[in-house]
Amino acid sequence: MNLELSDEAQEYGRQAQRALGAAGGDELVRQVESDPAVRPRLVEPVLAELGAWELAPREDAAELEAAAALCRSVGYWAVPYPVAERLARPGDLDLDGLVVVADPAPAAAVADLDLRWAAVRLSGQRSTAAARAPAGLARDVAFVAALDMEYVDEHGAKDAALGLLLPCWTLLGMLDRAIDLTVEHVQVRVQFGKPLAAFQAVQFQLTDAEVERSGVDVLARYALWSVQAGDDDALNDALALRLAVLEAAEIVFRVAHQLHGAMGFCDEAVLSWLSRYSQPLRRLPFGLSATRQQLTRRIGRRGLTGLFSDPLQSGRTDYAL
Amino acid sequence: MSPSATALRAELRRLVHERLPRDFLGAFTDDPVDLETAQQFCRLLAERGLLCLAWPEEFGGRGASPWEQTVVREEMWAYHEPRGAQYMGVNWVGPAIMRHGTAEQRHLQLPPIARGEVIWCQGFSEPDAGSDLASVRTAARRDGETWLVSGQKIWTSYATIAQWCFLLTRTATGEKKQHGMTVFLVPMSRPGIEVRPIRSMLGPHHLNEVFFDDVRVTCADVLGSVDDGWKIVQEVLSYERVGIARYARCERLLQTAPSALGEQWDALPEELTGRWARMLTHCRRARLLAYRVVALQSDGRVRPADAAAYRIAVTRLDQDSAEVLMDIIGLASLTSQAARQFQRAVEDHWRYSQAATVASGSIEMQRILLSRSLLVAL
Repeated sequence: MNLELSDEAQEYGRQAQRALGAAGGDELVRQVESDPAVRPRLVEPVLAELGAWELAPREDAAELEAAAALCRSVGYWAVPYPVAERLARPGDLDLDGLVVVADPAPAAAVADLDLRWAAVRLSGQRSTAAARAPAGLARDVAFVAALDMEYVDEHGAKDAALGLLLPCWTLLGMLDRAIDLTVEHVQVRVQFGKPLAAFQAVQFQLTDAEVERSGVDVLARYALWSVQAGDDDALNDALALRLAVLEAAEIVFRVAHQLHGAMGFCDEAVLSWLSRYSQPLRRLPFGLSATRQQLTRRIGRRGLTGLFSDPLQSGRTDYAL
Repeated sequence: MSPSATALRAELRRLVHERLPRDFLGAFTDDPVDLETAQQFCRLLAERGLLCLAWPEEFGGRGASPWEQTVVREEMWAYHEPRGAQYMGVNWVGPAIMRHGTAEQRHLQLPPIARGEVIWCQGFSEPDAGSDLASVRTAARRDGETWLVSGQKIWTSYATIAQWCFLLTRTATGEKKQHGMTVFLVPMSRPGIEVRPIRSMLGPHHLNEVFFDDVRVTCADVLGSVDDGWKIVQEVLSYERVGIARYARCERLLQTAPSALGEQWDALPEELTGRWARMLTHCRRARLLAYRVVALQSDGRVRPADAAAYRIAVTRLDQDSAEVLMDIIGLASLTSQAARQFQRAVEDHWRYSQAATVASGSIEMQRILLSRSLLVAL
C-alpha cells in the first residue's frame, strides 16, 4: 500500500482545485446560498469539464484515487454540491448518486437538485431516495433535505463502504483549507506588537490541529486501499476513517475558530462558510458518537485488522484464557 | 511490506514466542533474571544476524531496508523490548562510531555491539540541560595531552549496568552554545565515575545520576573532532526520528484484551468498548504516520514535520491507550494465569507510557518543530 495518492491522482486533484478556484472558489458557496437554484448551473459544468462524471471509481483503482483527489479539492473550496455522493453512484442501479443513510430520519445534503438518488444503510439495505423540499433556507440547513425512501434490495455492503469513504475525502479537503486559512491568519494578525504566530500558545494549537489532519490523511489513503481491495474489512475501515475525520474536524475547526477570533464568525471570513458547510458531512448519516458505536459493534471482539489481529500469525494467542 | 519484511516479522515473532517467557515485561524489573533473559536474547539475535540487521554488511549487518528495520522496531517493542538496553548501541551508538570513529574505535567498539555483549548509556541530559541540550556544562578541561571531565549527568538510563558511556561534554566556550562541545567514548569503569540510581515508577535501571570527578579521557576517546560534538549529537537524534514503535505494543495489548478477558469482555460498558475501538483506530493512525516517515526515508527524503506529527500522535496514543486498558482491567476479575499476565502487562504499559511524552525529546520540542514547518509553509 502506498501512503500517497498516485502522481496522476494528485495532479488531477490540483487541476480540479485550480478549476474550481477559477470558477469562483470561495464565491461558489456564497452565490449558491443566496440563490440555491443556480447550484447545478454553477458547479456542474466545471465538474463536467474536469471529466468528473466519466470517472468510474468502482471499476478502476486509479479512477477511485482520482475521485478521492477530486473530493478533497471540492472540500477545499466548500463547493456546495454533492460530488462525492454522485461519484459513489451504484454500478447496478440506474441512478445519479448514492448517499449513506441512518434511521430514524434519513436525510442528505442533496436538496434543490434534479437528481435520482440511491440510499444505503450500513446493513447493506438499499433504497431509492427522493429529496423533499429543504426544511429551511440554505443558510440554516446547508441543503440538507429529508429523504423519501423506497426499498430496493439488501446488496449494498460495498455501496456503504464507498458511500462513507468519499465524503470523508471531501471533509479532509475542508480540514486542509481550515488549517491553511488559520496559518495565513496567524501570520498576518498582529497583537501585542507581533504576529499571533509568534506566540507559542498559538503554535501549539496549530500543531494539535495539524496532527489530526495528518492522521486523517493517512487513514483516508488506507481506507481507499481497503475499498479498492474490496475485502470484508472495507466497511470497518471506512467507519474507522469516519471516526477519525469527525474527531479531527472537531479539533481543527475549534482551533481554527479560536485563532481567527471574532473575525472567523463573520461572513467576510472564508472560515465561517467552511465551518457551516462542514456540518452536513459531520452529522450525516450519523455523528461522532454513533459512528463510534457502529464501528464498535461491527468489529466486536475481533478488533481492527492490523499487526496483531490474526492470532494464527503469532503462533500463540497472547494472554488467551 | 515486502515478502522479506513479512518473513522477518514471522522469524522474530517465532523467536520471541520460543525464547521469551510469557510473563516477560522487559529487562528492567526487580528480578535480575529478566535482565539476563534480555542479554541472552540479544546474543541469540546476534548469532542469527538479526541484532544489527540495519548495519552495513562491512560491519557485520545485513544492510536491512528501512521497512525491515521498522519490523524489528515493531516486534521488539510489542514484546517489551527483549533487547533491553542494547537497542541503543545497535540503533545509534554503532552507526555514530561507523561514521565518525577512527579505525581503532571501530575495531574496538563495533564487534562487541554486533555480538550483543555490551551495554551503552547516553551521557547527554544534565540537571540544567534537558530539552535545551546545548546548555550542557559537564566540562572536559585540558590537562596536557588529555582532559579531565567533571560534572553531572542525569536521567541516564542503564548507567548502573552499562560498560560504556557516549558522553557529551563542553570543551570550549564558543560564540554559540552549540559550539565547543566534544563527544567522548568513556568506559564506565574509569576512575572518578559514580552512578547513583534514582528510584522511580519506571522500575530499576531507567533513571540514574552519573557524577564525573576529574575523569581522565584521552584523544583516543574522542569521537569525531574536538569541539565539534554538536554535529554528532544532531545526527544521533535524527537516528531516533521515527523512534520507538510505541503503537505496536498499544495495538498488541488492545487487540488481545478481548481474549484475555474472555466472557467478561461482553459485560464491559459500551462506552468503554467504544473507547477501545477508538484506540485501535488511533493505533492504525500512528502506525501509518510512522510508515509515511519510513516511506520517505526509503526514498532518501526527510520531512521533519511528518516525523514530528508521528511522534506527537504516537506518544499521545501510548498514554490514551494505557488509560483505556487500565479501565478495562479494572472492570474484570482476572484470575487465570494468562489474565494476570495481561493485567501486569497493562499496568507496566501504563507506567511506561507516562514517560512517553518526555523521553527521547519532549512532546513540546516536537510541537515546536512541527509548528515551524507549518508556519513557513505559506
